[in-house]
Amino acid sequence: MDQGARDKLDSLTAERPEMAVLVEDALALVAGCRTVSELEEARVKLLGKKGTVTTVFKGLFMLSADEKPVVGQIGNLLRGLVEERLGEKGRELSEIQGERLLRSRAVDVTLSGRRRTVGHKHLLSEVAEEITSVFISLGYEVVQGPEVELDYYNFEALNQPPYHPARSLQDTLYIRRKDPFREYPDDILLRTHTSPVQIRVMESRKPPLYVISPGKAYRKDEIDATHSAMFHQVEGFAVGPGINMGHLKGTLEVFVRKLFGSSRKVRFTPHFFPFTEPSAEVYVSCYVCDGEGCGLCRGSGWLEILGCGMIDPNVFEHVGYDPEEYTGFAFGVGVERVAMLKHGIDDMRVFFENDMRFLRQF
Amino acid sequence: MKVSFEWLQEYVDVEASPEEVADLLWMSGTEVERVRRLGSGVSGVVVARVDEVKPHPYADNLRLAIADDGTVRRTVVCGAPNLVEGMKSALAVPGARLPEVSDKELKKATIRGVESEGMFLSASELGLSDDHSGILELQGVTRAGLDIHEVLPLEDVVLDLEITPNRPDCMSMVGIAREVAAVTGSKLRMPDCTVNETGPPTGDLVAVMIDDAGGCPRYSGRAVTGVSIGPSPAWMQRRLLASGLRPINNVVDITNYVLMELGQPLHAFDMDLLSGRTIIVRLSRRGELITTLDGVDRQLDDTSLVIADASRPVALAGIIGGEDSEVGEKTRNILIESAHFDPTSIMLTSRRLGVRTEASGRFEKGSDPGGTLAAADRAAGLMGELAGGDIALGAIDVYPKAVIPVTIDLRPSRVNTVLGTEISKSEMLEILERLAARVEDADVPRITAPSFRPDLQREVDLIEEIARVYGYDRIPGSLPGGGGFDAGLTAEQALEERLVDGLVARGLCQVVPYSFMRPGDLDLLRLPEGDRLRRAVTLMNPLAETGEAMRTTLLPGLLRLALGNANRGNVDLAFFEKGRVFIAKGPEELPEEFDAIGILLCGLVEPAGWSAPGRQADFFDLKGAVEEAALTLGVDDIDFLPADRPYLAPGHSAAVLVDGAEAGVIGQLHPGVAEEFGLVFELYVAELRLAPLMEAAAGTSEYRPVGRFPNVKVDIAVVVDESLEARMVAEVIKASGGDLLLSARLFDVYTGPQIPAGKKSLAYALEFGSAGGTLTDAQAHAELDRVIAALKSRFAAAIRGRDDVRGEGN
Repeated sequence: MDQGARDKLDSLTAERPEMAVLVEDALALVAGCRTVSELEEARVKLLGKKGTVTTVFKGLFMLSADEKPVVGQIGNLLRGLVEERLGEKGRELSEIQGERLLRSRAVDVTLSGRRRTVGHKHLLSEVAEEITSVFISLGYEVVQGPEVELDYYNFEALNQPPYHPARSLQDTLYIRRKDPFREYPDDILLRTHTSPVQIRVMESRKPPLYVISPGKAYRKDEIDATHSAMFHQVEGFAVGPGINMGHLKGTLEVFVRKLFGSSRKVRFTPHFFPFTEPSAEVYVSCYVCDGEGCGLCRGSGWLEILGCGMIDPNVFEHVGYDPEEYTGFAFGVGVERVAMLKHGIDDMRVFFENDMRFLRQF
Repeated sequence: MKVSFEWLQEYVDVEASPEEVADLLWMSGTEVERVRRLGSGVSGVVVARVDEVKPHPYADNLRLAIADDGTVRRTVVCGAPNLVEGMKSALAVPGARLPEVSDKELKKATIRGVESEGMFLSASELGLSDDHSGILELQGVTRAGLDIHEVLPLEDVVLDLEITPNRPDCMSMVGIAREVAAVTGSKLRMPDCTVNETGPPTGDLVAVMIDDAGGCPRYSGRAVTGVSIGPSPAWMQRRLLASGLRPINNVVDITNYVLMELGQPLHAFDMDLLSGRTIIVRLSRRGELITTLDGVDRQLDDTSLVIADASRPVALAGIIGGEDSEVGEKTRNILIESAHFDPTSIMLTSRRLGVRTEASGRFEKGSDPGGTLAAADRAAGLMGELAGGDIALGAIDVYPKAVIPVTIDLRPSRVNTVLGTEISKSEMLEILERLAARVEDADVPRITAPSFRPDLQREVDLIEEIARVYGYDRIPGSLPGGGGFDAGLTAEQALEERLVDGLVARGLCQVVPYSFMRPGDLDLLRLPEGDRLRRAVTLMNPLAETGEAMRTTLLPGLLRLALGNANRGNVDLAFFEKGRVFIAKGPEELPEEFDAIGILLCGLVEPAGWSAPGRQADFFDLKGAVEEAALTLGVDDIDFLPADRPYLAPGHSAAVLVDGAEAGVIGQLHPGVAEEFGLVFELYVAELRLAPLMEAAAGTSEYRPVGRFPNVKVDIAVVVDESLEARMVAEVIKASGGDLLLSARLFDVYTGPQIPAGKKSLAYALEFGSAGGTLTDAQAHAELDRVIAALKSRFAAAIRGRDDVRGEGN
C-alpha cells in the first residue's frame, strides 16, 4: 500500500475514532500472529463472512448518504491494508517455519565429505617436472633420447676413455658387447646417464641450443637404500657462441634457488668429469641446519646437488662443432637425490616399490 | 687418501686450522670427505703384551687375557676374535679416558662373573679409524708399558680426501702439500732426497735391462747393502697408521712411506735372491710361473709385463711382487725398484689376471716418469738412516724412452672467454707457476706441464687449473640468452603432460616400476611363440633381482606392483604408468622404443562410506578411465571392439581403436594368468600406445556454435536382441538422427520379465535442437520418427510404449 493511501486512511479515520480503533485492532491482530494457522484465523476474523472488514461493508446501508462514501472508502482502504499485512506476515511466518524445519533436520557437518578418490603423480615425475619447468622458464626446450643406447653416444663421443671402469661389465648393463677387453663404439648398452642426448642433439642441429632432457638411466648397481639399477636424471646443456662458465654459474644458481628456496646459498667446487672441462660440483647450503652442519649434510653445511661443467672440446669435435666458434655448458641432476633431499626420504627403494601409501603422500 | 695434518706440515707451512685447510682444498677441487681428530682426549692407555689366553669360565664368546702392562700383570676379559698369545695391543687401565667410548673414567668391571682389570681396545674405540673388527694389533714395535701416544698418531688430525681420477699426483703428501701451497701462497718444501753413498759401486751388485721400453719407459733404482731388518721408528709408524697403513718392518715401511710421501710405488727385492743379480723388464713367456706375494701361483701367457731375473719372473711389473725375492727377516741386501710403467699395459694385465693393488691402481692412473730417481734416492737415504744400510755408489736409471714434457700455448683471452672473467695474464701465469708448470712469457705464453701432471695436455686443461686456483666462487654468474623460438614444450609434450594430469584427475596414482622384466613373464602372460611382445632385448650382464630383459609390455611390471601392494595389505588399487617398452630389431640394431600407458584397477574404486556401500572395480571403470584419458586430449573418436588376448579373460576384453587405428587393449586379467602372478582377485588392465592418441589429439579443435534456444528432450527404449552390441544401436541412432540430433545418451539397459526372453531394452535420452531457432515438437518428432524407423528396419527393434513389447512376466 503506498504511503498516499495510508495517509488517506489516517485522515478519514481521524474524525471517526471508532473507525481508527478498528484499524489499529485489525493491524495489531495480524502483527500478533505467531504461526501460519493463527494467521489464517486472523484472516477469517478480519476478511471472513463475519469478519471485521466485511462487517464495515455490511453496515453501510444503515448510514447516511453523506457518510456512506466515506465509510465505504475507509472499508476499501482497510481491506487493502489488511490484505497486504496478511501477505507480509504470511511470508515472514512461513520462512520462520521453514527454517525451523531445516534446523530440525540439521546435517552433521562433521561427517566426512563425499569424496572421489584423488589421484597422485609419482614423486619422481613431480620433481622431474619441477626441475624441467625451471629450465623451460629460462628458455630451454625438452628433448628425449633412447634408453637403450650405443656405446658411441653413451661413452665414446662423451670423451670417456677406453678401459674406463664405468665401461666395465661391473658398472654398465650391456645388451651386446664385442670383446671383454675392449669397449667398442657399436656396443649396445643401457645408457648410464642422460648425457647421450647431448650428442644426439648436437649431431643433428646447429647452435644456439638450450636443451633439457629428463629420463631414465641404468647402472649395474645392486638395489639398496642409496643405489638403484634404474634411476632418473635431468640432463641440460646450452651451446652457442660466447657461452661461458659465468653463464653456467648464473643459470645453476637460479635453478638451485628456485628448487630449494631463494635464501639458499650455492657453491661451485672444481671436480672431474670426462665430458666437461672445467668441471664443477654444485652444492646448496643445507636447509636443515642452514650451513651450521648437521646429520643430513654430514657436518659440512652443504648438500651436493649436481655435476656440471663446460663441454669438453673433444666432445665438440665428435659432433663436428668447431670449439673455437662455439662453447657450451652441460649439467646433470639426479632426480631421486633431489626428491630425497627435498622430502627427507632416506631409502631410494620406496620410489620403485610404489606402495599405494607412499604414492598417496605426494 | 688419508692425509695426516702433522705429516703435511713437513712440506708446507700452514697457519690455518685443519678445517680451514679442508675447505681450501675442497674449493680448489680436492673433496674432503671427513676431518677426523684421531684419539682426541685419550689417556691412561698403554701398550700391553698378551702373555696368556684362557677360556672364560662362564661365557663361550669371551676369553681371559693375562696381560703385562709393563709394571703389573692384569686379567682382562676380552671378546675380540683376534686375541692371541704374544700379541701386543692397546690396554686401557682403570682410570683411562676414552672419549669414543664414554665420557666417564674407565673402571674395573665384572663381566659375566670375572673381574676385568682393564680393556683391550679396537682402533675405533681409540678414535683412530672405524675399524672395530678386533682389538688393535701393535706389531713389531713396541715394548709393554709405553704410553699409547708414543706409538699411535693420537692427537693428529687426518683429512680423508677423495682424489679425482685425473689427479694421480694428489695421491701423495707432497702432491697435497703442493695444492695447499698453491691456494695459500706459501712455499712447498720437498723432502731431502740426497744420499750418502757408502757402499760398493752399484754396477758390481746388479744389472738392469729393459726389453720392452713401451711397457716400461723408465726403471730407476738403488742398491742398499747390509741392512738389518727390524721395526721402523715410532714417528714413521705413527704416520703410516694415520695414512691407514699397517707397519711391518723398517724396509717395507720405508717403501710405503715414500709411496705415501711422493706417490711413487716402490718395490724392494732381496737382492741376494735374484738369480744372476740381474733385472730384466720384459714380456712374460707362455707358461712361465710366479707365486705372487698374495700367495697365488700364477701361470702367465706371453702378454704380461714382468720383472725377471736371469731365470724367472720375480714380479708382475707395477702390480705385485713375487714370493721368491721377498724381503724377510734375514734380508741383508736390497734392490729398490722405482719405475714408470705404461698405464694401459698395467691396466690390461691387472684386469686379465684379476689382481688389483695399491701400486697397479696408481700406475693405471699415470705415475710421474720424472720422479722415479728421486723416490729411489729418498728410499735409499731412509734405509741408510733407519736400517743401517750402505747405499751403493751410483743410481740405477735406465730410461730408454724419454717421456717428453708437453708444451701448451695459452691464450689469455681464451681463458677469459671460456670462464667469463677478466683475469690478468700475470695472475694466470703465477697460478700455473705455483702448480710447478714452466712458463715462458709471451703474448701467447708457452706452458710446459710438470711430468707428474699427465692430465695437462691442452689449453683447456690449463684453463681449468687457472679457474680452480683463481676460485670458482670469484667467477661472476650471469644468464645467457635462452633458446628463443625453440624454448618450451612441444605440442606433443604438452599433450603428454595433459594426459598424465587427466589420469591423475580420474583418481589414478602414477607408478614407476623398473623397466626390466623376466622372460618368464611372457610365459605367464601365455603369449604364443612368435608374438611381437616376445621380441625382447636381453641383457648380457643382468642383475639377478631385476630380471634379464627389457620389458616389451608394461603389464608384468604393473602386476608385480599389484602383488607387492597386496602383500602389504593394499588391495584397492588404481594406478597407471607412462613408460617405455622395447621391441628388439636386429641383433646389431638399437631396439624400437615407444611410450605406452598402462592402467591397473582392482578392489574398490569407490570406498565404502557412511553414505554409500562402496563399489568394486569392473570393466567399465577401466573403460571410463581410458575414455576420459582420451577426452582430456580432445580425442572422442575412440572405439572398443571385442577382442581376445591370451592374458585377458575371454568375453571381457576389447581392442581400443583411436581414429580407427588399434592403440591397445583393455580387459579383465585372465583369472588363470592372475593366479600365476600370485594374484587371487579380479584385476582390470589396459595398455595403450601413446603415439595413436597423440596423432588423434594433434590439430586444433574447431568451434561449434552452441544453441541459444531450448532443446527438445525425448526418451526412447529400444528392444533388440540381447546379443546385439550397444555400439551398433548407437551408430544407427546417430546416423539416422540428422543434424538436429545433438546427443543420444544410453541411460538404462534392461533384461527381464518386462520384455520377451532373449531381448534387451536399451533406453536412450535423445536431445534435439538447432542453433537457428527453437525446435517445434513437430520437427523433433519428425526426427524421432526417422530414428525409430531406422532402428526398426535395421534391427527389427520394438519401441517400448509404442509397440507391443510385453514379456512373459506381463
